[in-house]
Amino acid sequence: MRDRMGWFLVTVGLLIVVVVLGLPNSLFGAAPPKSPDVRLDISKAAPRDVEEQTEQSIVRDYGKAWQTLEQSLEENRPDLLSANFAGYALDRWGQTVKAQNASGLSRRIVDHGHHLEVAFYSVDGSAMQLRDTAQLEVQYLDKGKVIHNETMTARYMVLMTPAESSWKVRILQEIAPETPKQATLNSVSGEGTGSK
Amino acid sequence: MTIRRITLLVLAVTFWAVMAAAQNLAVPTDATAGQAVSIPTSGSGSATLYVYGPGTAIKRAVELGQPIQIEGDQLKKSGRYTVILRGGQDVAGSFFVAPAKLENLAFLARPSRVPASRTGAVTGSAYVFDAYNNLVLEKYPVKFELSVEGAPATSRTEDSKNGVAWVRLDSGKKAGAAQFVASAGDASVKRIVQQTASDPCNIRMKAQPAKNGNILVETDPIRDCAGNPVPDGTIVTFISTDQNGRSTVDARIKRGFAQAELPPSDNATLSVAAGVVLGNEIHWGGR
Repeated sequence: MRDRMGWFLVTVGLLIVVVVLGLPNSLFGAAPPKSPDVRLDISKAAPRDVEEQTEQSIVRDYGKAWQTLEQSLEENRPDLLSANFAGYALDRWGQTVKAQNASGLSRRIVDHGHHLEVAFYSVDGSAMQLRDTAQLEVQYLDKGKVIHNETMTARYMVLMTPAESSWKVRILQEIAPETPKQATLNSVSGEGTGSK
Repeated sequence: MTIRRITLLVLAVTFWAVMAAAQNLAVPTDATAGQAVSIPTSGSGSATLYVYGPGTAIKRAVELGQPIQIEGDQLKKSGRYTVILRGGQDVAGSFFVAPAKLENLAFLARPSRVPASRTGAVTGSAYVFDAYNNLVLEKYPVKFELSVEGAPATSRTEDSKNGVAWVRLDSGKKAGAAQFVASAGDASVKRIVQQTASDPCNIRMKAQPAKNGNILVETDPIRDCAGNPVPDGTIVTFISTDQNGRSTVDARIKRGFAQAELPPSDNATLSVAAGVVLGNEIHWGGR
């Protein structure tokens, strides 16, 4: 009798394990979206050097901004953006999400990482301009169905400013790929503007 | 492999290449923010057009064989626009919209209050935008001018790079509300930088007996080296040193000068200071 009871308990236990493992992940709550990989090059920062703590903050906050933007574009939720965006960037991307929502369209971005370069860091530390080279896979959706997808190396001009406890993105503007001629010109006239 | 097979293979590759080329849309190569574009299509029948861009998401029916018109107010934001055509043929292409010409400036000036005659104390950064708030990456000369009424202005012109121009200037010699102006093209933005007097230049005091027997010390009007009156409220310290020790009295500048009473003494050395600046010494009493 005791042996039978034992076997019964083992069987019930195994059944519970199988059922629990077989349940969809969504029942356990969605895992929070992961922040994309962001690398930051501060070697060309001018006229002010970037402090170590600022460097860490920029990497953290720019990654969060992209995470938010991707979620916002996929779920058509403009309300998410204000946590990491301000000013013109908030207007630009808020307007994008609203336009998508109105047309029943959305975008899903598979983010393969960002390489950021500091182009300008103001003397008073109130603004930092960066260039981002991002590896992205963009899926274009109509009512949730993928109609086209594109893998791209996208270049962005970024302006970030410090807020109360984080840096916010004020400008996030994609720019056309550099032609070889432009690249040569830029490297020739690569000195910073401004004077002391 | 026979010649016939090779020929067939070459034909197949050529056909595939031609078909692949036909799948691309002839998208614009020099679009500008706020300006309409036209994209030619081939074939016949209807299709669905999708445009995904910054600030835009369009879905509408189009007739193949007719050019697709995208209006300027749907292309206000610079950046990548992806056009997808689904119907008789499934084609897609991307094009870039460049910022329009300079229309606006955003100008950050620091600090809002600065001592006069301070080297490199005033900084300004100007950001160049078009009418649709796109950062204009093309180079533009930006003029910075710092001026206070009744004194010559300091100005400098810097070219913007990637939409930003910045400058670092010395504060002017004269105290007052300085106008710090950044201008480029027809756009101009003004900020006010309050220039205050610097540290006192020379402090001179005189001493006389007070009615109650104390020593009354009083400065001449206190000014910085450019002649600006040092602001009221600035602390001035009067010191008396005699055989009994040292007495110190702090007084604030009021209406341009400071005064205090020091304890009576028959033989004392009186001195005055404000910050790091020392004034004259007076020998009081003695034989």
